[in-house]
Amino acid sequence: MTPEEKLDALFSVQTPPARDLAFRAAVAERIARRRAVLQVVTTAPVAVAGTAALWGLQPVLASLGPVLAPSATALALCALVAAAALWTARRVSAA
Amino acid sequence: MGGLPTDAELVDRARAGSDAAFSTLVERHQAVVRGFLRRTLGGGWAEADDLAQEAFVTAWRTLDRLEEPGAVRSWLLGIAWRKAQDRIRGARRGAARDRQWLDSVETPAGVSNEERLALAAAMAELAPDVRACVALCLADGWSHGEASMALGLPLGTVKSHVARGRARLLVALGGSDDA
Repeated sequence: MTPEEKLDALFSVQTPPARDLAFRAAVAERIARRRAVLQVVTTAPVAVAGTAALWGLQPVLASLGPVLAPSATALALCALVAAAALWTARRVSAA
Repeated sequence: MGGLPTDAELVDRARAGSDAAFSTLVERHQAVVRGFLRRTLGGGWAEADDLAQEAFVTAWRTLDRLEEPGAVRSWLLGIAWRKAQDRIRGARRGAARDRQWLDSVETPAGVSNEERLALAAAMAELAPDVRACVALCLADGWSHGEASMALGLPLGTVKSHVARGRARLLVALGGSDDA
């Protein structure tokens, strides 16, 4: 073998396989983890602001309690269904 | 029509939020990125593969900054190269550590173990820039222009790095100095 051929042979043994599902899965896992962190970082301020707003509005809500109580369950259910539909639609369109 | 999507199409879909498209880009370019890092970074392959994963995550996060979607391969290599430079600067690296890059590799037929070690030592002694140029142009067959674009080095520098690196590696394998 010439030195050039030896060099080529030594370089070629380092080349990873063209398809590597384990590597692909590892990257997907890291991206999922990064996405989860980003979601927490972006939603945490909203959650904090919402909590603060509710705490501030507590006296008002308490006084409206008897009025809102009959429809509160239905409103919460509607909000939950809407949020689930929105989340599902985003996941499907992203896939 | 109906054939494999181009890199530009996959980038567009990934930018729109498709994880499947980005995963296809990973599959398409992982061998080049990992091979480049294995040869350039030195150390064990696990470290190079770990850095390659980081490079792909960075690419996913900054996909909107890619100006030419068709040139995604060079762009990915550029990200990997910058990460490799940070890693090389950040770690205390010695020739012995950098030499590990071939220690776990089987010796190909026609090459002696001494030659394998000699090449590993010669590769470890090359400057990181030179090693990167050698890895792309000699090992992966990139043109000098492509390597220049990916590594952010002037074309003349890439050409001289490749020539110098090749000469040193060939001498280590028993070739002449002017090879």
